[in-house]
Amino acid sequence: MAGLLLKNLRKSYAQTQVIKGADLKIEHGEFVVFVGPSGCGKSTLLRMIAGLEEITGGELWIGDKLCNDAEPRERGIAMVFQNYALYPHMTVYENVGFGLKLAKTPEQVRDQMIREAARTLQMEHLLERKPSQLSGGQRQRVAIGRAIVRKPEVFLFDEPLSNLDAALRVDMRMELEKLHSALGATMIYVTHDQVEAMTLADRIVVLNAGVVQQVGTPLDLYYHPANRFVAGFIGMPKMNFLEVTAHAVEDGRVTVGGKDFATLTVQGHFGTIKVGESLTLGVRPHALRLDSAGPLAGRVQVIERMGHETNVSIELPSGGTCLAVLEGNPPIERGERLALAFQPDEAILFDANGDALNAPPVRRVQ
Amino acid sequence: MRNARKLAVSGAAIVATAVVFLIPFAFILVNAMKDEQQAARLDFALPTTFRIWENLVEVVTTRNWMLLKAFLNSAILTVGSVTLLVIVSAMVGFVLQRRKTRWNGLINFLILAGLMMPPAVVPTIWLLQSLGLFATLHGLILIEVAYHMSFCILLYRAFIATIPRELDEAAIIDGAKPLDVFFRVVLPLLWPVTVTNIVVQTVSIFNDFTNPLYYAPGASNATVQLTLYNFVSQFDTAYNLLFMNILLITIPPLVVFLFFNRQIVAGMTAGAVKG
Repeated sequence: MAGLLLKNLRKSYAQTQVIKGADLKIEHGEFVVFVGPSGCGKSTLLRMIAGLEEITGGELWIGDKLCNDAEPRERGIAMVFQNYALYPHMTVYENVGFGLKLAKTPEQVRDQMIREAARTLQMEHLLERKPSQLSGGQRQRVAIGRAIVRKPEVFLFDEPLSNLDAALRVDMRMELEKLHSALGATMIYVTHDQVEAMTLADRIVVLNAGVVQQVGTPLDLYYHPANRFVAGFIGMPKMNFLEVTAHAVEDGRVTVGGKDFATLTVQGHFGTIKVGESLTLGVRPHALRLDSAGPLAGRVQVIERMGHETNVSIELPSGGTCLAVLEGNPPIERGERLALAFQPDEAILFDANGDALNAPPVRRVQ
Repeated sequence: MRNARKLAVSGAAIVATAVVFLIPFAFILVNAMKDEQQAARLDFALPTTFRIWENLVEVVTTRNWMLLKAFLNSAILTVGSVTLLVIVSAMVGFVLQRRKTRWNGLINFLILAGLMMPPAVVPTIWLLQSLGLFATLHGLILIEVAYHMSFCILLYRAFIATIPRELDEAAIIDGAKPLDVFFRVVLPLLWPVTVTNIVVQTVSIFNDFTNPLYYAPGASNATVQLTLYNFVSQFDTAYNLLFMNILLITIPPLVVFLFFNRQIVAGMTAGAVKG
């Protein structure tokens, strides 16, 4: 098993640069998730690591080997595809053993390895079937089995759960977690679903338009987003953003004013802020609570009752919306006037470039 | 009432098809059993004397058992050409479909040109002569392959487009080299179009009369189609022997078609190209 090192990795198609200098160090045994919106380059980056795309610039190290020009079979990697990519004319047994057969592994050893992989994934009863006779979840197991049987240095997953229904996705997610614990392997996982990212990852790499926005643990990204993009991408529902102006700046506190409220105080350790500077205030829906004297007030537009919590969207005076997630089932009606407040240290201020100026504390359950 | 009309129309269509396809065959069958005099009348009357065995023996033994050598030549020509065609066309179709280069436009044009342009017989004969391939069976195989390749490549390329590229990529990740990807992953999935190509090209090449006539003259190179000339001359045609010869040379393509017909249906209904 090995770690990876990406040094200023770049990828261009003709004149268009799609990956703009990715720097990343992945430790051996880590589960790293590449996440981002469609078209951000996460699959391209994964395919560059796999050897399915040429690297335009920079260096890719897998273990202690420079792999820029290495063939995929020389990189010690295995990949699980979104559409499984099982060979339709071969049985499950032959699919799983294909790589071993190509490597001229002796038949008895090959048989043993295939059956061991099948046992790990509980698919021994499927070995004589063809892919067309399997369900989506079973096909995904076979695709994973084909990857693990070769005992690669690094596992690559390209949105493997996207084609499964919601319930199966949750089950398979837990299977993948168990697999990671059992194998202790280095895994790189690509997804556009931030819930998968938050639940599976040791560390998350957030990408946007070919640029790495932030690398960190899930909680790091949630509580300490580096910029507005990461803050808006991580966390469901999305963070609320309000355009504000700095009225007063003191040590540990900033007072801001905006279109929808007179003044608000935000606490925290900030960088240099000038009075009159245009900023963006970010506050998570889960941080908002009902408060008749709260600064964010407006008419209730949408109420979504989930059972254990309620999503409420209010229309602010300026026409913008603010989304709050309230505990339980509060007695509110559409069209009603509602006021919301939050703890002063739970908001994040972003400068004009979108960079975060402070980092709220990580909330731990007592 | 509508069902009765539909039945009537279907019945009429079947009868019309039978008339067009079966009646000529019945004509050949009936006349192949007659003697020379009665066959010369070219009618549907039943034979007065049944000379099936005698006609058969005479056709087979004509010109020093030429028909048997001709069957062998036809078999070599057909099997050799079709094998080469299938393998080479599949490879070309695969590369054309998977690899996008600036030469693709030119190559596509050349393939289409191959389909549309008529063969230039005399220059081709000169070329074969200069290469020492004229009047040889292997030269003729190359001619057949060249003439039929465009059609095969187009069929293969269209079908390969339906095979997801991820299968190639999965094989590459598994350690397959390009030839492994082609022979172990892609070619097996091309079975339906391979069968189609085999059937169509076998019938076409086996039945080819003009190409063996132009490019492989000589009694030792004769294919079964050319043996028909044994019984046709300017003043005298032995129709009974001619029809017996036609009957004999129809049997192999008929068998191929009957055998592969099931394979075509099985190939189409198996369907599992989607990974």
